[in-house]
Amino acid sequence: MDDRGIITLYLARNQRAVAETKEKYGGRLRLLGRRLIEDEETVEECENDTYLQAWNAIPPHQPWDYLFAFLGRIMRHAVLNACAARRCRKRAAALTELTAEMEQCIPSPSDTAGEVDGILLGEAVSAYLRTLPEEQRVMFLRRYWYFDSVREVARYCAASESKVKSALRRMREGLRTYLMKEGYQL
Amino acid sequence: MRGREFLEKLGFVDPKLVEEAGRRPRRARRRLWLGAAAAVLVLAFTASALLWPRGSGETPDPMGGVEAVALAAYPEMAPYPDENAFAGEDGAFDSDGFMEVFRAWRESQQAQLEQGADYAGSLSDFYAAALPVFLTGEEGENRVFSPLNVYFALGMLAELTDGESRGQILDLLGQEDMESLRSQAAALWNASYCDDGATVTILASSLWLREEVPFIQETLDTLAETYYASTYRGDLGSEAVNEALRAWINEQTGGLLEDQAADLTLDPDTVLALAATICYRTKWANEFREENTAPGTFHAPDGDVTCDFLHQSGTDTYYWGDRFSAIGRWLDDGGTMWFLLPDEGVSPEELLAGGEAAAFFLAGRDWEQSKRLIVNQALPKFDIAGEADLMEGLRALGVTDVFDSGRADFSPMTEAYEGIYVSQVKHAARVAIDEEGVTAAAYTVMDAAGSDMPPEEEVDFVADRPFLFAVTGPSGQLLFAGVVNQPV
Repeated sequence: MDDRGIITLYLARNQRAVAETKEKYGGRLRLLGRRLIEDEETVEECENDTYLQAWNAIPPHQPWDYLFAFLGRIMRHAVLNACAARRCRKRAAALTELTAEMEQCIPSPSDTAGEVDGILLGEAVSAYLRTLPEEQRVMFLRRYWYFDSVREVARYCAASESKVKSALRRMREGLRTYLMKEGYQL
Repeated sequence: MRGREFLEKLGFVDPKLVEEAGRRPRRARRRLWLGAAAAVLVLAFTASALLWPRGSGETPDPMGGVEAVALAAYPEMAPYPDENAFAGEDGAFDSDGFMEVFRAWRESQQAQLEQGADYAGSLSDFYAAALPVFLTGEEGENRVFSPLNVYFALGMLAELTDGESRGQILDLLGQEDMESLRSQAAALWNASYCDDGATVTILASSLWLREEVPFIQETLDTLAETYYASTYRGDLGSEAVNEALRAWINEQTGGLLEDQAADLTLDPDTVLALAATICYRTKWANEFREENTAPGTFHAPDGDVTCDFLHQSGTDTYYWGDRFSAIGRWLDDGGTMWFLLPDEGVSPEELLAGGEAAAFFLAGRDWEQSKRLIVNQALPKFDIAGEADLMEGLRALGVTDVFDSGRADFSPMTEAYEGIYVSQVKHAARVAIDEEGVTAAAYTVMDAAGSDMPPEEEVDFVADRPFLFAVTGPSGQLLFAGVVNQPV
């Protein structure tokens, strides 16, 4: 079923919406979870949590053209929370690496949380990414949105790992400069 | 804020960018072609009767048959991988296996698209000048032409000419000399070419040579190398050659222009004919649902007609100008089909004459007046074809000498004849759209949104009166443009 059909089911409060969502996107959502969590049961919990939240969010949301991105954002949140709560040791290294890299994007990292609205930050990062060639944008998002390892990004983009590493480093520095220039207090 | 929070909030990145980063593997599910667009331009070169031919006044005997002297070899592209072949029943995905095939495809695709910086910069002026000239005609008629197709035909014409004849063409194409034209044409050809099993865009060209004429080989070689032109030799004007030319055009355009090609004949005096085609097949990124298609009224200049309208609603970027509104629908290959609807009381011709239509099509997503809205689209299904002799239009654009036997300079083509001139410039094009594709197609509709909040405002985009359209390929080039006055 295509996205429009699935969303129509959500809007009609038809529970088949969840089954259809799972059939179409379950594999990709679990893949996202497995990148940071090795325990399959936890991945499934995150996945089910994603369906529940989507059920509660549509309506009012109507992600006609971006259902996967919508679900993925919920799944990422669930996965990151699970990592923090359960101290998923098996993949802790992957998360530590990712968060360390992310800190390099922040103009002045602090422990103050929740100051910046996610939507605003998303807009700022999107604006920065749009200034880059598609290949670089894809590398950035494969790594930090889809949680791909550097090796996976390299294979996805048909590039060497060293090229991906240096491109990511340049983008992190570029994003930091961009956020400073735009006056984001992070 | 710390890295962990930053990482989480990256979840709010524009969904369009997220889709872009995950798009390639998902595209594999859409493999069938359902729409197609095609165009052909045939230039016939005739030697004027007064000087025909040097040393002999007799018409050569018809030989019948056609000899293929050289056939163009197109670049080989790795096939687009079928994701379904790598998916297990439990939803597991053999990403290693898929990536191996995908990487090969991506490498070949990148090799085609990456043709250096700014190769297409000077084309904007040509497109802006050509659109009003070739899209303005009889009131109430549909019109369609392929700017890129005309560009390639003119490029080849420049190769066959010299002196002022060549200078006028270079001026129109915005090129200083032949070297820059050749490098631009080669880059454009390669950036536009795609034949990977999922999308087809082929710009094909052929030269048809009169048998007994000694053509200058160096020029023919340049045409073959730069424009991927095949060469055939035969008795031009004979039914055998006419038939072979029609068959070639039908083969290159997937039979889309059969009706138009059926009338094509070359005059027996023809020394050389040049045919350039473009064939484009892909699909919408977001297809229309067939059950939403419903009949509606289209207010054509000659009176109301009933036709099927494709309907779709969703978040989209809505564009507007002083006298029009517009939307762009993504195509499966990364191109876009643009629909530009003049405000009520304004005709497409007025937008062409005023320059707004060309300005919008060339700006595309960079057009400033735009907003994310819920757009309720209603577009008529159409299948339009246009045929035109471009000679007058080219004259209006400053290309005049090649049509004048006393002024045309075709010395790079052959030195055996004098007084050669272009006697026919026939262009035909056809574009059709339906639920699943255009004669062009695309992906995600998301554009500037940074959040997942749907916009609160809603707008209707109902193309129920004459409108303009354009199809731009993934490299940004204008593949087709047209005016729909009568969708059926």
